[in-house]
Amino acid sequence: MLLQLKNIFKWVQQGGQRVFLLKDINLEVEEGEFISIMGPSGSGKSTLLNVIGMLDTFDEGEYDFLSESVHTLKEKYRSNLYKEYIGFVFQSYHLLDDLTVEENLEMPLLYKKIKSSERKALVADMLDRFNIVGKKDLFPTQLSGGQQQLVGVARALIGKPKLILADEPTGNLNSQQSEEIMALFKKLNEEDGVTIIQVTHSEKNAEYGSRIINLLDGRKI
Amino acid sequence: MFKNYIKIAWRSLKKQAFFTFLNTFGLAIGMAGALMISLYINDELSYDKMFADADRIYRIDADIKFGGAEIKAAESAPPMAGALKRDYSQVESTVRFRTLGSMYVKKVGSETSSKEDRVTYADSTFFEFFGIDLLVGNSKSALTGTNSLVLTKTAAEKYFGSTDVLGQDLLLDNSDTYTVTGVIDDMPKNSYFNEYSVFLAMAGNVGSREELWGSNNYFTFVKLIPEARVEDFQAPLQGMLERYMLPWAQKYFPGMTAESFAASGNYIRYHTIAFTDIHLHSDRSSEMNATSSMQNIYILSFIGLFLIILASVNFMNLSTAHSLKRAKEVGVRKTLGSNKMNLIFQFLTESGLIAFISLIAALLITMITLPFFNGFTGKSIAIPFSQPLFWLLLFAATILLGFFSGCYPAFFMSRFNPVKTLKGGASESVGNGRVRNALVIFQFSISVFLIVSTLVVFQQLNYIQSKDLGFTKDQVLLINEISPLGSKTNAFKEEILKMGNVENVTLSNFYPTPSWRSDTSFFQEGTKSQENAIQMQTWDVDMDYLKTLEMDVVAGRDFNKQYASDSTAIIINEATLPILNVTAQEALGMRISEEIDMENPSYYTIIGVVKDFHFKSLRENIGALGLHVENNAENMAVRLSGGDYSKSIAEIENIWNTMAPGQPFDYQFMDEAFYSTYNSEQKLSQIFFIFTILSIFIACLGLFGLAAFNAEKRTKEIGVRKVLGATVSQISYRLTVDFLKLVGVAILISLPLGWFAMNKWLEDFSYRIEIGFGVFVLAAVLAIMVAIVTVSYQSIKAAIVNPVKSLRSD
Ligand SMILES: Nc1ncnc2c1ncn2[C@@H]1O[C@H](COP(=O)(O)OP(=O)(O)OP(=O)(O)O)[C@@H](O)[C@H]1O
Ligand SMILES: [Mg+2]
Repeated sequence: MLLQLKNIFKWVQQGGQRVFLLKDINLEVEEGEFISIMGPSGSGKSTLLNVIGMLDTFDEGEYDFLSESVHTLKEKYRSNLYKEYIGFVFQSYHLLDDLTVEENLEMPLLYKKIKSSERKALVADMLDRFNIVGKKDLFPTQLSGGQQQLVGVARALIGKPKLILADEPTGNLNSQQSEEIMALFKKLNEEDGVTIIQVTHSEKNAEYGSRIINLLDGRKI
Repeated sequence: MFKNYIKIAWRSLKKQAFFTFLNTFGLAIGMAGALMISLYINDELSYDKMFADADRIYRIDADIKFGGAEIKAAESAPPMAGALKRDYSQVESTVRFRTLGSMYVKKVGSETSSKEDRVTYADSTFFEFFGIDLLVGNSKSALTGTNSLVLTKTAAEKYFGSTDVLGQDLLLDNSDTYTVTGVIDDMPKNSYFNEYSVFLAMAGNVGSREELWGSNNYFTFVKLIPEARVEDFQAPLQGMLERYMLPWAQKYFPGMTAESFAASGNYIRYHTIAFTDIHLHSDRSSEMNATSSMQNIYILSFIGLFLIILASVNFMNLSTAHSLKRAKEVGVRKTLGSNKMNLIFQFLTESGLIAFISLIAALLITMITLPFFNGFTGKSIAIPFSQPLFWLLLFAATILLGFFSGCYPAFFMSRFNPVKTLKGGASESVGNGRVRNALVIFQFSISVFLIVSTLVVFQQLNYIQSKDLGFTKDQVLLINEISPLGSKTNAFKEEILKMGNVENVTLSNFYPTPSWRSDTSFFQEGTKSQENAIQMQTWDVDMDYLKTLEMDVVAGRDFNKQYASDSTAIIINEATLPILNVTAQEALGMRISEEIDMENPSYYTIIGVVKDFHFKSLRENIGALGLHVENNAENMAVRLSGGDYSKSIAEIENIWNTMAPGQPFDYQFMDEAFYSTYNSEQKLSQIFFIFTILSIFIACLGLFGLAAFNAEKRTKEIGVRKVLGATVSQISYRLTVDFLKLVGVAILISLPLGWFAMNKWLEDFSYRIEIGFGVFVLAAVLAIMVAIVTVSYQSIKAAIVNPVKSLRSD
């Protein structure tokens, strides 16, 4: 098992009241799964994804990742765990505008303290694999949305994570670009055995996955 | 990784050019200011350390109270040096100086002479004592012969065109011929002997060999043996009083004992001051060279520190404000696996880089401005490029500054929550700016404090310059060194009096301008005891003195040629009356004498009392003074009645040239001579002024950046308000008023501090201003105006933006 959420609650205080963002979420994810999270806007999809991605905290419950209990880990270990195993893809790409495509890809490797020669090789591989060698010296603003998301996916993958978390990865893309990205996810999942959890509003995209989780008002239904 | 940090830092700095510029510029100015101040202080602290054995050299000072006057003497009696060497085994060697002020020097046979400003007799031990090497000549024998002298290199080249001048003759003040027996390098600028160019052998000074313990005219230095501790020397030094001073005094005051001397409230306290301490710590009234004070060093250090802190605070403020733009980047980096440490390092690299760019800019600024700075401080400070220690300190300071300035923004930004920042809720992460507000208040407090200080210093100087001094210092031309006129002196005076715009002319050696003067003891007719000695200055003047300087007689009369007896008349000032314990009217007709011990002492009769006039600095009270007629003047004062001064001067110079051909004509205006007393205050006020401007400028840079940021942050709000019908002036008012509140708080904090600090400073003056309410109002108004000007540009700019644009951009 890759990860397990047990009775996760998350809330915020508003006007003296608890407003629940996540309510009693239980979830087990096996390695190699491809899961889609669906639900109306404001139902807590992004919140859940961020909790799984350790970007956000929760208030109650337990979270085990590769049999480490995340909720008891210190920030430093959590950050290490995260660096090692998780890659994020965002709806609005979130590439670093000051860096070229190549440098954006290199960034996670730098944080993982990988040696320069190895970094070069990995970046070159990735550029090759995503067919963006010609774009390596361009800055994000010089790319189309689809191309930017391609770089975003490549960047999430470069550290060879076990788990990719994608929050509406195709939300800003047209249907053709969207299909390309989904096909890529499917291929990664099937050929490389990468576990993927994506948030999506599109039934069509959800079908690429093997399992669908529906959320409503922070509760799994 | 580090290389990567640098690369990223460089790019983001380049991208945010405006922000980088504000930051760099502010830091660079702060650093340049601090660097210059450091160099200045370093120079001040380096005084006299270059001499060999400087750490074992001390000067003998004495605090003397005798007959009403207290003297803080830097000079000792002529036999002091010899006695010290004889009596104390700790004393390895001694040297004495007797300064002669300026002298006219010329090569024998040459027509024109030129003025050497600093000439002194020196003992023959001079060179060995201070470890000074002679360029030519023998250090042991150079200053042994009666009429031998040693020149500095510059002086030698001036008179002979080379330093190969052994055996050449020079004529001093047109009367004495001296033979050059040695040449030394010019005295270092940062030394006590700076600008001394002619050293005469002490052998030629008869007084130096006399057993006169009553006159203190010789700067006396001792060098202790290496094993000696100065503390062990201090106490026994006091023994000089009983061994030498009292036995000598008993010749004149028979029956005086140590007890009766002390009982009458008199004292002589000997002590030592370390040679290297003289420049900054000496409190003596006369010195061989202008000294400075630690107070100035402290004030300057504070200002330097202020500047750096201001610039650094600017940096923090701008960076945290700017972090809004970087929030997303922080979020993304965190999702890419960056931990807090990585981010902190990244931001510190950026601030380090800015600090180094600023350093380069600061060095350039310093190089450009240093000549001006040297010009007005009278120093010759250079950036010590070739000294590794300088670079080491500079780099260390820069790194420290980068770290200090970057720390808060780095920690601040590294704390950003990735989820929030990526959602675009960055302004939330940037916070409500409480810290930033506090920093703005802090900056403006310093600026307002400096404004208050500057105003007070200016006011005090203005007060000094416009104060009723008891005489009129304006429009008086002082002609120095008229001795070359010889017997033609009176003819010269008559000629000048004939000139149309000359009101009066007087001849005297004494003017109420800074110069070295000493007190003499006088005794009232009938007293026989030294307890009743009156310590007063006596000035030799001519009959026209009071008229020329426009001094008032409050009782009795001025000198008058009609009375032959006026040659033994004396006019005293009001300050003498309490010592005589009489009223002005009672004083008239009293007789006083210097010669208590003689059978038939010669008396001066008091014929008048002159209204007190300031002849010392306004830092001191007016002391007792007597004026009597004597014909030995070396200076002349001419009161002009206005008109074209330069024409009058040229006319006087013409007369001079016919009566004293070939002799230098040296003059100055009395008010200038007067102001030179306040040189250190003048300089202080200039320094205050410059650095106040700098600090305000830096604070404004920061405010400008913050206003820009604030306007940007509120673009959307402004857009909405405009759509709802707010006018441009309403909006710019809203944006401006927030900042003015901060400036208001700063004013409230700094005004009391300024009041307190400046009152402390004013305590040094016997005659001083009261700090008025106006100063505070002016400082407050200035600060507010500067803030309005700085902020309103951004506010108006933001307010006139088309709302459609700003709303769409969000
Ligand atoms: N910091 C917060 N404070 C208060 N409420 C919050 C906070 N963060 C999220 N919420 C609320 O939690 C709920 C879930 O938000 P979340 O972003 O997870 O929704 P979502 O399902 O991803 O919606 P969408 O499809 O629009 O992206 C929303 O109602 C949101 O208003
Ligand atoms: Mg969402």
